[in-house]
Amino acid sequence: MTFADIVNLTLNGLISGMLVALPALAVSLVYGLARFPNAATGDVVSTGGYAGLFAYTASGSLLAAGAGAAAIGALVGLASYYLAFRAILRRSVITSLLTSIGVGFVIRALLGVMFGHQPRTFDMPITRAARWHGVMLNPTDGQLVLVTLAVLAIVFTLLYGTSMGRKMRALADDADLARVSGIGVERSMVTMWALTGAVCGIAGMMVGVRTVVSPDAGWDTLLPAFAAAVVGGLGNPLGAVVGAILLGVLQEWSTPLVGFVYKIALAYVVMLVVLLIRPQGLFNRVQGVR
Amino acid sequence: MLDYALTLAVVTLIYVLLAFALDLQYGFTGMINFGVAGFFGAGAYTSALLTMRAGWPAPFAFAAAMVVCGAIAWPLGKIALRLRDDYLAIVTLGFSEIIRLVLVQEQWLTNGVQGIPGVPRLWPTWTTAHSELFLLGMLCVANVAVVLFLRHLTHSPYGRLIQAIRDDEVAVKALGKNPARFKTQVLVIGGAITGLAGAFFAHYMTYIVPDQFVPLITFYVWMAVIMGGVARLSGSVAGAALLVLFLEGSRFLRGVLPWVSDDAMASVQIGAVGLVLILFMRWRPEGLFGRAREGSR
Amino acid sequence: MDRRKFVTLTSAALGLAPWARSSWAQQGVFRIGSLNPITGAGSPYGTGMLKAIQIGSAEVNDAGGAGGVKLEVYAEDSQTSPQAAVLGAKKLIGVNQVRAMLGVWSSGESLAVIPLTNDAGMILMNTAGAPALSAPPVNAKLLSFRLQATNDRFGRAFAQIAKREGFKRPALMAFNNASGIGNTEGFRKAWEAQGGQIVASVVYEPNRPTYRSEVQQVLRANPDVIVTGSYLTDTELLLRAWYETGQQVRWIVPGWAAGPDLIKAVGSQVAEGMISVESISDEGAPSYESFVSRFLQQTGMRAQDNVYATMAYDEVILLALGLQAVGPNATSAVLAAKIHELGNPGGTEVYRYADGKKLLAAGKKVTYVGASSRLNFDQYNDVTPDFAASFAQSGQFVRKYVVKL
Repeated sequence: MTFADIVNLTLNGLISGMLVALPALAVSLVYGLARFPNAATGDVVSTGGYAGLFAYTASGSLLAAGAGAAAIGALVGLASYYLAFRAILRRSVITSLLTSIGVGFVIRALLGVMFGHQPRTFDMPITRAARWHGVMLNPTDGQLVLVTLAVLAIVFTLLYGTSMGRKMRALADDADLARVSGIGVERSMVTMWALTGAVCGIAGMMVGVRTVVSPDAGWDTLLPAFAAAVVGGLGNPLGAVVGAILLGVLQEWSTPLVGFVYKIALAYVVMLVVLLIRPQGLFNRVQGVR
Repeated sequence: MLDYALTLAVVTLIYVLLAFALDLQYGFTGMINFGVAGFFGAGAYTSALLTMRAGWPAPFAFAAAMVVCGAIAWPLGKIALRLRDDYLAIVTLGFSEIIRLVLVQEQWLTNGVQGIPGVPRLWPTWTTAHSELFLLGMLCVANVAVVLFLRHLTHSPYGRLIQAIRDDEVAVKALGKNPARFKTQVLVIGGAITGLAGAFFAHYMTYIVPDQFVPLITFYVWMAVIMGGVARLSGSVAGAALLVLFLEGSRFLRGVLPWVSDDAMASVQIGAVGLVLILFMRWRPEGLFGRAREGSR
Repeated sequence: MDRRKFVTLTSAALGLAPWARSSWAQQGVFRIGSLNPITGAGSPYGTGMLKAIQIGSAEVNDAGGAGGVKLEVYAEDSQTSPQAAVLGAKKLIGVNQVRAMLGVWSSGESLAVIPLTNDAGMILMNTAGAPALSAPPVNAKLLSFRLQATNDRFGRAFAQIAKREGFKRPALMAFNNASGIGNTEGFRKAWEAQGGQIVASVVYEPNRPTYRSEVQQVLRANPDVIVTGSYLTDTELLLRAWYETGQQVRWIVPGWAAGPDLIKAVGSQVAEGMISVESISDEGAPSYESFVSRFLQQTGMRAQDNVYATMAYDEVILLALGLQAVGPNATSAVLAAKIHELGNPGGTEVYRYADGKKLLAAGKKVTYVGASSRLNFDQYNDVTPDFAASFAQSGQFVRKYVVKL
C-alpha cells in the first residue's frame, strides 16, 4: 500500500460519504422538527433520480436536471407531509416511523407502476481522471463535491442566516418553548418538508448520474444515511454531514484490513461504538433523556 | 389446496412467534427493536448447521438456536440500555445487518451467498407431506408453549414491572429497581423466541440464504404487531394472520383486477402494504385488538 | 360495520376466489406454472420471461395444442426471493393445479422450489447457474432442466477465450452472489488447470454507489484482463471506476451484462474492445429469429436484451413437444426422458413447434434446436451450449467467433 493508495482510498471515502451526506442531512432535518427518523427518505431520493433523468433528457442541462429534481423532491416531501405525516406528528416515534415506512412503500409502488422496474441511465460521457503522483483526481468527483457543497451552503444559510431558519432551529431545540414564544409551527414544518424533499431530490439525481435510476435506487442510501445521522447526532444537520463523510472515509480505510463485505458492517459498528461512548451522537448536547 | 393452506398455516405461525417476541419487547417493555431479521437468521442457521454438519438431533438443535440467539441479544441489550427509542431503532437495524453480513462473509461456516440447500425436514425419513404436518404440529405446540409462558410472565409482578418500565422508566428507577437488567432480560427472551422461529423456518424451507434475512422481514413483523394490537398476545396472533393475508392475498388480486399488468401488480402489492401501514397508524394505532392508549411519548 | 367483521368478510371473499376459478377446470388442458421474478433482483428479466412463456403457449395452442390438450399458463411473482418462490409454487401447485413449473430464474429460487416440484412429481425448468442444482441429491429424479449453462461452463468458456486472446494475467471480479462467484470460480478452476495464475480476485457487495476501491485493488496487481461475474448495473460502475484510472486493461464480461444497454450507459469509447460472452444457437437459427420478432411485436421489448426470455420460450416449446410425443397422461419420468431426448441430437432438426408436432405425429424422432442455444442436455439435464465471443467495436457488439467446450 503506497502513500498514493492511501490518498486514493481517502478520496474514495470522501466521495461515497458525499453521496450519503445529503440524505443524512435530510434525515436529521426531519428528525429535528418532526422527531422521528424518516424511512421514506430513500424513496424520495429515488423519485429525485427519475425527475432529474426526465429533466435532463428534456433539457440537456445538468443544472436544469438538478432544479427539476429538487422541485419534484420538494413536492413529494410536501405531499408526504400533508397526506400522511401531519395527522400523526404528535404521536409516538414508532407511529411516525412506521408511517414513514408505509409512505416509502407507496412512493416505491408509484414509481414502479409509472416507470417499471428496468434501471435507466443518464447518457453522460465518462471522463478520465487526472493522475498526480499516483493519486487520482476525477472531474466528475469535483462536480459532485461542488454540487454537494453548494446545496449544503444553501441549507446552512437558510438555517443560520434567515429568520425562518432561526425559527426552525428553535423548534428543533425545544418545541414547547418555541411554541409558547409564539413561533408558528406550521410554516416551519412546511418549509422543512419542502427543503428536505428538495435535498433528497438532488441527492437522487446525483446517485442517478453516478449509478442508475430505478425505484429501488434510493433504498440503498437509507441505512447509510441513518447510520451517518445517528453518528453525528440525530437532529444535528452539521453532524449528519460530518458523520456521513467520516463513515465513508473510515469504511474505505478499513477495506484493506476487513475486506469489502465487512467494510459495510463497519458503518454500523462505528455507530455502535460512538453511541456507547457518547449516546447522543458526536455533535449533540446531552438532552433530557431516560 | 390443502397443501397451500398448510404452507400458509406454517408461515402464519412462524410470524406469530416473531410477533410474540416483538410484542414482548415493544408492546410490554417499550423497546423499539428493529433487529428481528438478524436473530431470525441466526436461529435458522444455527439449527440448520447443527443438524447438517454436527449431526445433532433436531430438538437439541432447536434449543441451541434459542440459546445462541439469546446470547447474541445480551450484548445488544448492554448497548441499547443507554439509548432512546429512536436511536434504538436504528442501532438494532444496524445490528441485524451486521449479523447478515457475517452470514454472508463467513463462508467456511455458512456457505455464504450460495446458501444451504437440503436442510433436513423433521424427520428426513418420513414423506414430505408427513414431515410438513409434523412440523406444523410442533409449531403449534411451540406457539402454545410460548403463549402460556408469556401470559404467565406478563401477568406476574415481573410483567407489571416491565410494563412500568415502558410507561415511566424514571419512576421505576426512583423505586429502586434497575430497569437495565430487565430490559436486557426481555431482549434475551425475545431473542430466544425469535431464534426458535428461525429454526422452524429453516427446516420448513429446506433452503436458507442470507438474502432472506433482510430488514423487510423486520418491517413485516412490526406490521403484524401493530395491526394486531400491542401488549395483547391475542393481538399478535391476529396481526400475524392479517399480515399473511395481505402478503398472500394480493396474489389473488390478480384475478380481480385483470387490467393491471403483472409487472405493475407487484408494485400494487407493495403499495397496498404501505397504504395499510399508513392507514393503521392514522386511524387505529393501537391495532385491532389493542386497548386505545393515547398521549404522545 | 366494525373492523373485525370487515376483515373476516374480506378474508372469506379472498379465500373463495381460487375455488371459483378451479371449478371451471376443464378437460383437455395442461396447466403450466410460470414462476417468474417480476419484482426483486430479477425484475429486468421476469416480465420478459412471462411474456415469452405466453408467446410460446400461444404458438403451441395455435398449432392445435400438444398431445390433444391446450396449454394454460398461470403466473406468479417469485419476487426473486426463495420463500416467496416457495409460497408462489405452493399456490400454483395446490390451488391452480399446474403440472409443470417453468421460468424459474435464480439459483436461490430454484433450490427452494425443487424439493416441491420433486415431491409433486413434476417437471421444473429453470435458468439458474448454481452447481448444486445438477448433482444428486437435489436433481436425483432428473425432473429439473436447466436451460442456462452452469456457471462452471461459463467459466470454462471465459478461460478458453482468455487463452485464445493471449492474456496471461487475468484478474477476477465477482458480484457477491452464487451466480457471480460461480462464474469467476469456474474460470479460476479452468485457468489454473491449464497452468495459469490469477493475479487478483475481488468479490464486491451488491447495491453500492461506487466500486472504486474494489477496482483499484484489482488494478494494483497489473492484470491484462479482468474477468467478471457481474450484472448490468454493477458492470457499468466497474467500467466507470476503471476508465477513470486510465490503466490499460481488457474486460471479459457475461453476455447478460454486456449488451447494447451497457454500451449506451458507459459510451462506446469506454466499452471499446470489451469481450461479451454468451451462449448461442446456430447463426441465424430460425427459432431465434422468429421468436425475437414476435417478442418485439407483442411486447415492444428486445429479446436480444433478455436472454432468459428466450430460454423461457424454449422451455415451453420443449415441454409441448414432449407432451405431443408421450401424451399428457404420461408420468413425469417418461416426459422428462422424452424432453431430454428432444433436446439432444439424433433426430430431424426442427425450429418451430408446428414442424416438430407434425414429425412426432408421423412417428419420427425430433431434435429441437432451441432459440436460446442448442440444448444438448447432459446427464444432469443441464444444457451444454456453444458460446460466442463478441467484441465491442465502435459502439456495437460484433460476434467474432464461437467457442465449443
